[in-house]
Amino acid sequence: MSAQAFTLMAAKSPLLFAGLMTDDKQTIALGLRRRDPDLLDQLIEQYQQRLYRYLLFLTGNPALAEDFFQETWVRILERGDQYNAKAKFESWLFAIARNLVIDASRRKKFSSLEALADPETQQPFEPPDLHATSALQMLLTRENQQAVQVSLLKIPVYYREVLLLRFHEELGLEEIAAVLAAPISTVKSRLYRGLAALKSALSEGAA
Amino acid sequence: MNETLHQRAQRLLAESLVEGIAAPDQSWLAQHLRECADCARDASATQDALQALRSVPVSVPRDLVARTQMRVRLRAQEAGESSRTNFLLWIITAASWLLGVFSAPLIWRGFAWFGGEFGVPRLALEMGFVLWWGIPALLAVGAVLYQRAVAQNFAGSRLQRAVKSPR
Repeated sequence: MSAQAFTLMAAKSPLLFAGLMTDDKQTIALGLRRRDPDLLDQLIEQYQQRLYRYLLFLTGNPALAEDFFQETWVRILERGDQYNAKAKFESWLFAIARNLVIDASRRKKFSSLEALADPETQQPFEPPDLHATSALQMLLTRENQQAVQVSLLKIPVYYREVLLLRFHEELGLEEIAAVLAAPISTVKSRLYRGLAALKSALSEGAA
Repeated sequence: MNETLHQRAQRLLAESLVEGIAAPDQSWLAQHLRECADCARDASATQDALQALRSVPVSVPRDLVARTQMRVRLRAQEAGESSRTNFLLWIITAASWLLGVFSAPLIWRGFAWFGGEFGVPRLALEMGFVLWWGIPALLAVGAVLYQRAVAQNFAGSRLQRAVKSPR
């Protein structure tokens, strides 16, 4: 990476990411309190990709991610009156999804979230969307993406989770801390270790 | 370049991604990356790793959204029905309690007449009177339990149909 590219990247720091407008949050909070089915339909549609991706990163298992996806929205319906519109809706959504996964792992007496994944039977991620590419490109892209996916699954789930929230969802440190119900220092330390783990996993995968 | 400079560059590189760095540090790092090929390579590897993380393809399974929307709507409907039923039960309970309070003197007179006619002991009369008062509450509890069981069966069958719909 060139120094100029780095400067550009620093300028586009995720810390500058702006969340939902207060009005939007208020609208969501009001609708959730009323259990407005149309609003819920709209939210499910709007956040489908982000919630499913988060659950997939968290569980490493598409079937579990699907179950938790549905459970999360049922929980949102039931506990909608608890959303106070102070935090971003997605932070609250992720926190609820995360708690569901943790509750399930505790009920099933898994030693960690990692144990939710079944490495022998699962396909960790959905097949890539490879339309409009040549057969060779398709093959190369698929192999490369599968390598990335396999490498990502080598990273402990606690690191994978914060990396996704920070660099994919572009949540701020405080927002991630709210999702994790953990201090900011913990979030930072997981991010630093996660970055190192990610680089190491990818370089090992490429080797 | 000594090792300390490289270590500082590594630290600033990670900090810039995680929590941001001050402008002087940014300038220093940019300058260092221009001069040090190893650190520039490391920065590039970090960016590549993050790019790989961002580019992991995730496609939401077909029908998942529709199935979820249906399930949430059913749950909302059940919750609405349940709160309406609860409201009705509260009204019925309050009405029966009021009726019980205002009819108590008449009922007690009836019990007293019955005791006098058939020679029933006073203790048995009092117990019968308390039981008479408890009947509406027992009926209400029975109604709630029955309603809950019916609602659960109904919801279970509807959910099964919703979940088993073709993906």
